[in-house]
Amino acid sequence: MGSLNMKRLAKTLLSASITAAALATGGISTALADETCMSPYMAKIVGQEDFVYVWTLGVEGVGDGQDKLVTVDVNPKSANYGKVVNSLSVGGRNEAHHSGFTDDRHYLWAGGLDTNKLFIFDVHTDPAKPRLHKVVTDFVAKSGGVVGPHTTYALPGRIMITGLSNNKDHGGRTALVEYTNAGEYVATHWMPTDENLRGAKKGGKFADVYGYDVRALPRRNVMVTSSFTGWSNYMMDFGKMLQDKEAMKRFGNTVVVWDLHSRKPKKVLDVPGAPLEIRCAWQPNHNWCLTTTALTSKVWMIYEDEAGEWQAKAIADIGDPSKVPLPVDFSIASDDSGFFVNTFMDGKTRYFDLSDPENPKQVYETVIARQVNMVSGSWDGKRQYYTSSLLANWDKKGEDDEQYFKAYDWNGKELVEKFSIDFYKEKLGRAHQMRFGAYALYAKNSDEKLKGTALAVNE
Amino acid sequence: MTFSRALLTLGAAAMFAVTSWHAATAADPEQPVVLAPFYTKSEFEPPPPGSYALPDLGEAADGTVVDASGRVMRLHELLGDGKMVLLSFIYSTCNDINGCPLATAVMYSVQQKLRDRPELRDRFRMLSLSFDPTYDTPEVMRLYGTGFEGGGDWRFLTTASPDALQPILDAYGQSVIRDIDEQGKALPSFTHILRVFLIDPERRIRNIYSVSFLNPDLIINDAITALQTVASGERRASDESLKAPLLSTAGDNKDGYGDESYATRSKELLRRTGTEADLMHFVEAPPLGLPAVPIPADNAITHDKIALGRKLFFDRRLSLNDTFSCAMCHVPEQGFTSHEVSKAVGVEGRSHRRNSPTVYNVAYLTKLFHDGREESLEQQVWGPLLAHNEMANPSVGAVTGKIRKIPEYRGLFEQAFDGRGVSMETIGMALASYQRTLVSADSAFDRWYYGKQETALPESAKRGFNLFTGKAGCVACHTINEEYALFTDDQMHNTGMGYRESMGIKPPTERVVLAPGVFVDVDREVIDSVGLAPPADVGLYEVTQNPYDRWKYRTPSLRNVALTAPYMHNGSIGSLRQVVEFYNGGGVANELLDPRIRPLGLSDAEIDDLVAFMQSLTGSNVDVIVADAFAAPVGDVTRDDPNWAHEHVAGDD
Repeated sequence: MGSLNMKRLAKTLLSASITAAALATGGISTALADETCMSPYMAKIVGQEDFVYVWTLGVEGVGDGQDKLVTVDVNPKSANYGKVVNSLSVGGRNEAHHSGFTDDRHYLWAGGLDTNKLFIFDVHTDPAKPRLHKVVTDFVAKSGGVVGPHTTYALPGRIMITGLSNNKDHGGRTALVEYTNAGEYVATHWMPTDENLRGAKKGGKFADVYGYDVRALPRRNVMVTSSFTGWSNYMMDFGKMLQDKEAMKRFGNTVVVWDLHSRKPKKVLDVPGAPLEIRCAWQPNHNWCLTTTALTSKVWMIYEDEAGEWQAKAIADIGDPSKVPLPVDFSIASDDSGFFVNTFMDGKTRYFDLSDPENPKQVYETVIARQVNMVSGSWDGKRQYYTSSLLANWDKKGEDDEQYFKAYDWNGKELVEKFSIDFYKEKLGRAHQMRFGAYALYAKNSDEKLKGTALAVNE
Repeated sequence: MTFSRALLTLGAAAMFAVTSWHAATAADPEQPVVLAPFYTKSEFEPPPPGSYALPDLGEAADGTVVDASGRVMRLHELLGDGKMVLLSFIYSTCNDINGCPLATAVMYSVQQKLRDRPELRDRFRMLSLSFDPTYDTPEVMRLYGTGFEGGGDWRFLTTASPDALQPILDAYGQSVIRDIDEQGKALPSFTHILRVFLIDPERRIRNIYSVSFLNPDLIINDAITALQTVASGERRASDESLKAPLLSTAGDNKDGYGDESYATRSKELLRRTGTEADLMHFVEAPPLGLPAVPIPADNAITHDKIALGRKLFFDRRLSLNDTFSCAMCHVPEQGFTSHEVSKAVGVEGRSHRRNSPTVYNVAYLTKLFHDGREESLEQQVWGPLLAHNEMANPSVGAVTGKIRKIPEYRGLFEQAFDGRGVSMETIGMALASYQRTLVSADSAFDRWYYGKQETALPESAKRGFNLFTGKAGCVACHTINEEYALFTDDQMHNTGMGYRESMGIKPPTERVVLAPGVFVDVDREVIDSVGLAPPADVGLYEVTQNPYDRWKYRTPSLRNVALTAPYMHNGSIGSLRQVVEFYNGGGVANELLDPRIRPLGLSDAEIDDLVAFMQSLTGSNVDVIVADAFAAPVGDVTRDDPNWAHEHVAGDD
């Protein structure tokens, strides 16, 4: 992967040839990036991003109380640097959570974990001012009862959506659901159960049928999913849930390795304690992905062994697991040399060195705020962005409930805060997931707007 | 878990202690290289009981044995007796980790697993017979057995002499050779091959287990399978009590989650299908043990109303944001309540302060909700529909207006209500009609008590019934009479449970399970930092404003109580056994505690019997009702429904 000039990129985009074969070559500098968390099928911003889109949860009594896509200008050369330049309310409180671009990066799909709506934003017509293009409201009915659309992950011409729950009992049994980029339902892929493993084999004792994140390693024809919990838990007051003996038994303890092409589960791996985000390695000789377990506070490696068999092993603790720091988002470097990981309860971000991928070593930590959830970095690794909200009813209460977007510079040794936006003071709500926008992605924008932005297309 | 060391100490409690934080990954350097699967993990899920056959492997031989009290008896006296028997040959000083201690550990595990399954526990006996009569005197066997007490029928036997033992060993094919040292001197140990025998009530051997096959779940499933296929008419009647309802089981079964050995038994949602039933039948001819179903004069029950009510009951569009039907909290296969949360969660995850009560047999109630504030089902339905923390509809009109615009309902109200359309009243009448049909009885208890079938009820449940109506006094509130039993007095009582909640009586830390067998104690202040203060709940007082009514809640019926965990108005108790223990302890003291709540002095065995009795109250028609519910379509938003989001939005052509 590496930089392309604008015209080449535009051609690439226009010819819609961003496929596994469209591999560009070039030098890679160490970089930590939100960009690396995204689908390998997608165009990347490798220079200065212009905007961060923050999928924000409405809060009853704060502003209009609705979920919104908030656009923050993050280009230091812009007159609006550090300001909210757009706020697009979508109606209702839907439990805004994650979002993801289509492979052509023209649209941003954002799910509502509660109301099961999929909000499709047009981000290419004017990257500074996204528009609500379409709302899918019949996701549950179309999918055959899947509730809680979570990750929206780009595959060529399609979006793979992980579910978290179902419409029968609001528990954790769920499925993956596939849509076309145009917003039409394609298929539902149910998670393997003990009653029907769908051809998968169990690597351990569990086949809990839960879902959360999805990532792919196309090189190995592998798709990996993790497992969180059902609607009743992710919507419940966190303190109430911790005291509910029945509820606490209902967290995922598995990672499923799938055949990416056939969408068939291959193996169910035991990864106890709610494995959440999945980040797959980028280097061609690295046949592994990492995940972190929210409850048991460990880093797990999901890897292909020498015999070609997929396995899981715990490779590091995050903080002191007995204190349940609750690791949440993490972001891996494009050369797989390290990752940032946040822990919600103590508000810290930690940097782990991955020189030896099987033995991550923490080399840096700092407190971001009283609570922290998401971390996203620029492609060049020089900028890191943080937001605060985990889930509407899991966020801390009272004064600890800080809601913010914070921008930092990362010099390789420490984070230096550049600016911070108080999402309560701005009457916006709870700041959750971040995605980057850049004029340079879209060829029709002026050369002036493109200045300073370099792009890459990688596998 | 440091299993081998613990085994050698024969400390059963220590062997199965709850694991600590790092236990799941702790390695034990003293373990032998190859351990029996029981110690590590099961390589497979035992097939479901009854899904396979266990052939007859021949007669279980007789012999003369001595029990731990020194009584000389025939082995056959302990075989038969209507019970499955698990027989192992051991000697008390055995220290081969894959030998006698394995058999004993597996048997202890079986005993633990059967503890809360009285229907099988009462028909299961375990025998540990020593093959070292020289050392293992009755007194030694008695001492050996004290480490494994746990409420099961487990006998520790020996023989009077090697001569009395040998025919038994021969008959069971047990080769036992005393070890000798290099000088030919006898050692205290034996070389033997581990064999454990499963023997049916007709004294036929139905399975033989070696080291690799000694799996507690497999043995239990084998026992059920064998019992189901014993062709004796004498036993067939009571075998019915073993048949658990097939559909009222968790799709996501978390029983045993606190144990490291937990394995999932997940079911397919796609196989959650059923057949529509004629529910009117249950209204016209209530099952044995129930009186006539009360029908209000102004809401005669009809097939059309039942069908419409059922459709509404499962329609998630009846909530403000299309996420909640009645059935999301009253889940059919979870006893029309919710097993997965102790207190309900409503729209946008808003906290409810109480447990979802079951809908089974609500037709008979004159006071609805835990605080008894509503008087008819027709009115009751509007409580959840309009509650901010339940279905959160902003008004009656918002609901009626929405239903009128959903194409699927076109004409249905008019058809069910003689031309009357969607209204507050007709919605109430339709939902009430469906719920009124969910009457369920003809349980094992009913067949015994009202049907006079002597063998319908297991002996333990009969003993439990005597306690229920006698020493334990449960019947004072969970009433029965000579014609029928509702198991509720329909009155309000203070058990102290509400008082404890209001007064915030809690330990300083909360034990939280993070993964199977992994626990951590969380400080109360940490929990408080991520939780809202619990809403007030003063029970009946909130309805009457009478201070003497503080913390009074309605007596729930006990019918189908085995299907409706967790228990109490706040869902704070997970099992029936713990409920009985709560009452056995006299509830929670407070100035308004109902005088009938007092320490009961029940023994462990008596508590087991009471639980067995409550487990016999599951109606015979629950599978029919649940299958009917499965057949009902779940209402979700479609593109035909009115919704602003389908209307033109910017950029959408």
